[in-house]
Amino acid sequence: MQFQLTDEQRALQDAVRSYLRDRFGPAQVRELYENPGGDGVPAPLWKALGEQGWLAVLVPEEHDGVGLGLLDAAVLAREFGAGTVPGPWLGTVLVAEAVRLAGSPEQQAELLPGLAAGRTKGAVALLRPGSSPSPAAAPATASAGTLSGRLDLVEYPAVADVLVVAAGSDAGTGLYLVDPRGTGVTVTSVDSLDRTVRLGTVTLDGAPAGRLGHSGAATVQELLDRAAVLVANDLVGIARKALTDTVDYDRTRVQFGKPVGSFQAVQHALADLHIAITFAEHAATYAAHAADVDAPDRRLAASVAKAKAADAADAATSAMIQFHGGIGYTWEHHTHFSFKRCKRLQAAYGDAAQHREQIARLTVDAAAVAT
Amino acid sequence: MDLRFSAQDEDFRRELRAWLDANLPAEMREPAFWAGKGSDESFELRREWEARKAAAGFAGIQWPTEYGGRGGTPTMKAIYDEEMARAAAPSTVNPLGLAFLAPTVMAIGTDAQKRDIIRPLLHCETIWCQGFSEPGAGSDLAAISMRAEPQGEEYLLNGQKIWTTNALHGDKIFTMARTGTPDGGKRHAGISMLLVDMHQLGVEARPLKQMTGASEFGEVFFTDATCPKTDVLGGEGNGWATAMLLLSFERGSSAIAQYTEFRRMWDEVVGVAARMDRDGRPAVEDPVLRQELAAALIELECLKYHSWHVLTQTSNGRDLGFEASMTKIMWSETFRRVSDVYEKVVGTAFAVPKPRPDLSLEELTTTAMWSRSCTIWGGSQQVQRTVVAERVLGLPR
Repeated sequence: MQFQLTDEQRALQDAVRSYLRDRFGPAQVRELYENPGGDGVPAPLWKALGEQGWLAVLVPEEHDGVGLGLLDAAVLAREFGAGTVPGPWLGTVLVAEAVRLAGSPEQQAELLPGLAAGRTKGAVALLRPGSSPSPAAAPATASAGTLSGRLDLVEYPAVADVLVVAAGSDAGTGLYLVDPRGTGVTVTSVDSLDRTVRLGTVTLDGAPAGRLGHSGAATVQELLDRAAVLVANDLVGIARKALTDTVDYDRTRVQFGKPVGSFQAVQHALADLHIAITFAEHAATYAAHAADVDAPDRRLAASVAKAKAADAADAATSAMIQFHGGIGYTWEHHTHFSFKRCKRLQAAYGDAAQHREQIARLTVDAAAVAT
Repeated sequence: MDLRFSAQDEDFRRELRAWLDANLPAEMREPAFWAGKGSDESFELRREWEARKAAAGFAGIQWPTEYGGRGGTPTMKAIYDEEMARAAAPSTVNPLGLAFLAPTVMAIGTDAQKRDIIRPLLHCETIWCQGFSEPGAGSDLAAISMRAEPQGEEYLLNGQKIWTTNALHGDKIFTMARTGTPDGGKRHAGISMLLVDMHQLGVEARPLKQMTGASEFGEVFFTDATCPKTDVLGGEGNGWATAMLLLSFERGSSAIAQYTEFRRMWDEVVGVAARMDRDGRPAVEDPVLRQELAAALIELECLKYHSWHVLTQTSNGRDLGFEASMTKIMWSETFRRVSDVYEKVVGTAFAVPKPRPDLSLEELTTTAMWSRSCTIWGGSQQVQRTVVAERVLGLPR
């Protein structure tokens, strides 16, 4: 029994941590905030993601990938959350997962090498914003090889080279490939509160679309669960960083002649956060592992992780502002970078309440029937 | 990441499970969520059970064989705890002796103490109490005022202890007393840990009735009681260091047992929720209660993952140190969480212990009340939070 990262996973963690420490920090995040009209993808960062294999992590080796598991991707997601990393990493990884899980051999051979190398950027639209993560909430409808529908709050549609959309049809829900620059597709950029992402609305009006091989409702659900696990890990990274920064600040900030961190009201709040974040870390780690080994409780674990991480990150980023005092509420300080990223992600792919309801369906209803 | 157990560990689990199936008395298989309650009637039965376990080699799992233990690993101990909880076997009647005193004696006891204390303790021939808390010293242990005056080869003890678990069943008590004066304002100085016979004139135990109605703890009064000087543990004046060593034998690995117990309680609460009415429908369909049940389950699942983390650390030979305070907060608050949702599920029926003959709500109600004590004993939740803040997070004092 070893419930911890392997040496290789720790090395991966160290590598991405030191890259972010040396090459991408609050100054670079600030540039994104001061330049909301840009594409939101710092070129050196994206190049590094491709070169380091951080886009290829889940792509099988036969398609020029690294062939690792969701836990390895989760290690990356966690560091990207801590570093408020911008760019379509998540969209690209999820497109690759969709193709890997459900694509035909031809679709895999055509798309995966480019996604793995970073030549191809991906975006996904898997559910209507506000909906519980389920195939029933597919945002588009498919008919005769085309898709129609309005896809809201899509990440990085303007830079994406390939779009994966969940759509319902007479033949059930499935996943479809759409060319975001093709006919019948209109992309409109929208302002994002969190400027470590670029969002847009994609309108599909009879856009040509190819169904991903043998995708069905189960594939859509699988992809939604994997998305939730990666986002949970991003949130855990946000939460841990928020707490660490707050502890560092309160260790030295003096009020009433004492460090703020010596006041019991502050100490106990931060201790509770540490415990909540530790639980969330365990849950996000286990959920990724459960997906990798196809554990019977993997859907439950995904919902536990997303709900716990969302609540922990919400509490941690709120506390970060509160326990930095006035400086924490300013544009100049970096607290709002994490806070806004958290606000976006805590609702993405199902918020805490929706995942708790999902947990109730998976456990309470089953147990009540058995009683 | 590898959550599988070794073949050797699985063998141990099978062996233990088979032995439990064959040996756990039927009357102990009642669905008891916290076996500590109602201990007055069942104490002797549980004591016999404990002795039977020891005789069969299922005690002191991690203790060296020279002390009658099994010489097992932290993983075996976790499996043991989990299987005991799964079988709803009663919890130990000698928790303070087994978990705290025995390892301390093994570490710093004299040869005579090792010989006289450890084996009888393991076989439950001697039930030990812990005499730390006083009316004026709860979580603030350094505030104790019980005196031990040297008199020839003995100490003369005067003072009072309180919240003493097993006070009425205890044969011996390890207790903290002042053998000297605080040295220049150092409150921790001049304290010794004494091993005192409770079956003597001068030691009087009185029950304290808990809010559950049971009396698992009590007060102990010392009036010119005696203790031979050879029964100091860790040396005269070293009581504080001895106590800290003793308390460092944290029970993090048993978080898996706590998960198993609390999860069984949660399952039971769901069963109750399926039968209780709320607005004319089963309570289990109420959207708010569903949220609360799920929220409690989230904490439970996280507690299980944390127990794996603790087990990984301990089986890799790492000391958890002050992380033990986190574990205490985690399990006691998770327990409270499950208890709170039970109270909400039964609603007005919580007003009476037996609202429906078909539901065993008395046990759940008692358990829910018992959960109130767990955030107090063993260092209150507030003290633990301070430890986490200062020792784990590194915030200034």
